[in-house]
Amino acid sequence: MDYNLKSIATCVATVAIMAAGAASAESVINIAGWGAQSGPLRSFGVNSNAVIQAAVKRVNEEGGIRLADGTMATLAYEYHDSACNAEQAIAVARRVASSDVLVGIGPTCSGAAAAMFGVFQKQVDDASDTGLQLPILTDTAVRNGLAKISQWTFRNTPNEPAMYDNLWEWIATNQPDLKTIYGGTETDQGHSNGTYSKVIVQAAIRHGFTWAPGDLEGLTGDIASGFEAVLDSSANWLQADTNFAVQARAFRKSGADVLIVSSHPFTTCGMLKEMSRQRIEPGLIVGLTSSSSAEVMKGCPDEAEGMIIPTSFAPITDAAAEVAALANENGGDADLHSAAAWENVMIIKQVIEAVGITGDASMVAQERRAIRDGLEALTETEGLLGTITRNQAEGEALKPYVFVQAQAGGWVVVHDPR
Amino acid sequence: MLYFLGIFQTIGVHTLLGLSAYVLLLTGQLSLGQVGFFAIGAYVSGILTVLFSWHIFAALAVGALVAGFFAFLIGFPALRVKGLMLVVATIAFSEIVRLFFFNLSWRVEVNGFDVGPDSTQGFREIRYFAANGWEQTHVVALIWSFVILVMFLLWWLDRVRAGAVLRAVGEDDLAAQSSGVNLTMVKVAAMTAGGVIAGIGGGLFAHSTTYVDHHTFTILLATFAVSYPILGGHKNVFGTLLAVIFIQGFVIEGLRFMGDYRNIVFGLLIILAMNLRPQGLVDGHFISDIKKKLGGKPKKDSADA
Repeated sequence: MDYNLKSIATCVATVAIMAAGAASAESVINIAGWGAQSGPLRSFGVNSNAVIQAAVKRVNEEGGIRLADGTMATLAYEYHDSACNAEQAIAVARRVASSDVLVGIGPTCSGAAAAMFGVFQKQVDDASDTGLQLPILTDTAVRNGLAKISQWTFRNTPNEPAMYDNLWEWIATNQPDLKTIYGGTETDQGHSNGTYSKVIVQAAIRHGFTWAPGDLEGLTGDIASGFEAVLDSSANWLQADTNFAVQARAFRKSGADVLIVSSHPFTTCGMLKEMSRQRIEPGLIVGLTSSSSAEVMKGCPDEAEGMIIPTSFAPITDAAAEVAALANENGGDADLHSAAAWENVMIIKQVIEAVGITGDASMVAQERRAIRDGLEALTETEGLLGTITRNQAEGEALKPYVFVQAQAGGWVVVHDPR
Repeated sequence: MLYFLGIFQTIGVHTLLGLSAYVLLLTGQLSLGQVGFFAIGAYVSGILTVLFSWHIFAALAVGALVAGFFAFLIGFPALRVKGLMLVVATIAFSEIVRLFFFNLSWRVEVNGFDVGPDSTQGFREIRYFAANGWEQTHVVALIWSFVILVMFLLWWLDRVRAGAVLRAVGEDDLAAQSSGVNLTMVKVAAMTAGGVIAGIGGGLFAHSTTYVDHHTFTILLATFAVSYPILGGHKNVFGTLLAVIFIQGFVIEGLRFMGDYRNIVFGLLIILAMNLRPQGLVDGHFISDIKKKLGGKPKKDSADA
């Protein structure tokens, strides 16, 4: 009899343990990413997707995410193409919000983000606001002030005002012979245009540089001061331009010591090639953060030689180098935008484990809220280049950064202010 | 459900854009300027709700009227050109509008926040619907009320003398003029009606997406606008709706999983559809067949195409 009881008890315990094991193995935390996998900005989405895949794989290889009851859950991930189109980004956001996904990562472009964030609830607990309620953590969209649109949206993107301020200070200290600046931007691109006319030029003025063609009205060095005069006085182009002869001539005519090429990789290479063709050799070229990427090194490594850019990613730590290799394995490249996607996945894991998620599909709304609150409560996270502090009043990050310079077909770190 | 309601929203807004081009196609005018009127409706109504806190209905009405007014003005010079020249002229108009909004910066502080169009940075937070407690079902109902109203009016128009006049001008304007039709009035009226419809669509678009900028109103959207009635067929108002469902519902949403290949499939499907049904998805034969199946007697001229 005792033998039977023991056998039964053993069987029951075994079944219970197996069931518990099976149950924990079946626990899944769903996250979704979306961005450009088609269209002219496809490379940004491809890179982010490659990095997120690698990060999700790493989390699962290390056992998954710890739930509130102590069991481990697998991280499941899906990526959707929203083509950097506002309507499509909103459609995917609604699709994801209708599912049991707990957190979203996306949607690549600032324009799509500006639209998509608008359909989210602006302030939590505002019952009169029927916007979507799903925490979003963005990796690429870097245009100023986007995260303020909704309290459900957070960004892990670089702080350009701080980066360029430090860059000009460093240039002024290390190359005191450089005195004058001039430049141009792709005016129909919000990020390039805004960062150039409101951040980069003003930071240079703040550190004693002068505008080569002469003083500009209202340009004091404060952020955004005299930005219209800056744009009027610059030699600008458009995103779809393929001929930069006029702009390059203006660059030459300015006689500036430092030339600023504030554009994305596609026109940066066009402009640099034309500058090379016209044998323009300034003391230094300063680029836009988004151009510190593999695309520039693939498209115009020789012409970019010497260009300096502040960036929040370079493979200078073991972790960053590993992410760069993993991104390549998945068919993408790690850069300041896509590498942030790795950090986002790790932030999600950190927050979920901190707030205690059950993984119960019937509690999706409550768990999304808990994760949002957890994201808002974050003051620091560990990034690939070091500690990231967060300015949660605006949902933004203050990321460590370095200055990279194009040298012999690659990006070389020339200054590490961390 | 939320997702499907969102798709209904998109299909509704694009149907209005397509119908604005449909009206002009009735008179034989191919316009790529509808996106300009769409942009005017979007910005004007957005400015009114965001900067001046107007009610959505008043804002949509004013947006539509302003778009219609510009369409009326454009209608006169457009009379002087036909065919490809009209296409080029209307592209130029829509580019002027796009670049105007590209340069428009009108920032006002409302409730402690700077809001309004901000040139390259776009026009953010056109959040009337969510901020005023509208559920998505309400938004879909509003959009489709306009779609149904406009479709009904155009369907009705096809059954009265005015519609016959429009089609007569579209078939052969010289013959129509010889019969005493006032070409100026008909073409300008069609252009104005198209502008009003596009203006309503633009207003609804801006409030649905909460954000507009100069990238939104490019030649691509203008091409979509005329593609809908051409692909759907301009023998019947329902053709435009069918084409929008096909493009927005099936090709763009249904084939999302295909990534970059979606654009290739998109092009192939359009070529295939135009070859199999050169007069549009809803052509004369289609209408005739439907009428036969419904037991009605088809019109002799409905099986043309």
